[in-house]
Amino acid sequence: MFNTCPGSKAADFRTKEVREDTPATKAGSQLRQWPVQLHLVSPVAPYYEGADVLLTADCVAYALGNFHADHLKDKSLAIACPKLDSGQEVYYEKIRSWIEDAKINTLTIMIMQVPCCSGLLKLAEKAARDADRKIPVRYSVVGVQGDILKEEWL
Amino acid sequence: MEHYLNKNIKEVILAFPETADILNEAGISCASCNVGTCRLKDVVDVHNLPLDEEQTLMTRIARVIYPDREAEVPRIKRKIPAAGGEIKYSPPLRNLVDEHTVIKRLLVLVPRILEDLDIARENDRKLVLDLIDFIRSYADRYHHAKEEDILFKVLDEDLEILKSMHEEHRAGRGHVQAVLDALEAGNNQEARDHLTAYGQLLTGHIKKEDEILYPWIDRNLSVSKVGVLFTRFTEIDKKFSDTASRQKEFIRSLEEIFNGEEVINNV
Repeated sequence: MFNTCPGSKAADFRTKEVREDTPATKAGSQLRQWPVQLHLVSPVAPYYEGADVLLTADCVAYALGNFHADHLKDKSLAIACPKLDSGQEVYYEKIRSWIEDAKINTLTIMIMQVPCCSGLLKLAEKAARDADRKIPVRYSVVGVQGDILKEEWL
Repeated sequence: MEHYLNKNIKEVILAFPETADILNEAGISCASCNVGTCRLKDVVDVHNLPLDEEQTLMTRIARVIYPDREAEVPRIKRKIPAAGGEIKYSPPLRNLVDEHTVIKRLLVLVPRILEDLDIARENDRKLVLDLIDFIRSYADRYHHAKEEDILFKVLDEDLEILKSMHEEHRAGRGHVQAVLDALEAGNNQEARDHLTAYGQLLTGHIKKEDEILYPWIDRNLSVSKVGVLFTRFTEIDKKFSDTASRQKEFIRSLEEIFNGEEVINNV
């Protein structure tokens, strides 16, 4: 019964060969704000004003080995889970407010490949479409083994 | 080989004419370029061939340059590997491609307009002046201004490929001025010749930008720069909103007169 949903279907990657990159120095965090959960952030917080905003599904940062350097750097962040979070109508309003009030420069959405994750993309797409102000919106689909499966502008 | 990778493409082709055919076979038509100052390595980079095709191309060129020995062929460094299939543009570059579509709707009509053009007739003179108004206000002041004043400035303007685009814009303006001069002098043939030359130049220019330059720019633009370009293009769109609407209406009316709709679908 638990295997019916691809989003919660168990997969074991322990036999996968992991490349052990050892950076000369410890990789620093690229996070430049707190909080990060979409329910907790104010869309008009100063770190969103005119920013390149990254909205990711909760699992994305765990799947990508180099999330901070490759994706978070120079961006303001929010995270959400389209499958488990309640009150997602607030998310829609906050995304619109980023675009209309905080006048963000771009919005990048990163979701996992599992079908339930596409809800976050659809929500953001609708908010961006409905907003009076237009901005470029980009999205990436991340595989459960940490590959970028798709990356393009809407 | 490194020496020739840093030479401009015209010099390489001049010294080794066979390279023009090799490039042509790979879909790189540099031999016909009016400017030809791009470096060989930039030409290969900007066309974003799949790595195996690039390797084959470079090996063939190396054999022409060094027929007596097996030259080492360096891999051209690229930020992002080639992606096959349909070209997906970022929103600001999509905006420029959409404007190209409007310009191409005019270009496809030019041969039909010229079939019976005689500038001694008042109506034909007016038509040519309207064409020039479209070219100057829509293609040049509105569209090329976005490229020259905004897009090219967020890149390195010293890049040869951008210089060659500037050069083609200048050549286009030269043809437009020559058409006006021909009108003034009452020289029908000159007017026809320069309108034809303008159409051919712009058709090739747009193809280069849509298929080669813009995808290359997209591969090299940061997300943040895409946002900045989009905002600035939106400002220009607002400023030129009346011009754009008026000129699109002009194209539509020309299509009605010259019945070019079925041709447009094949552009």
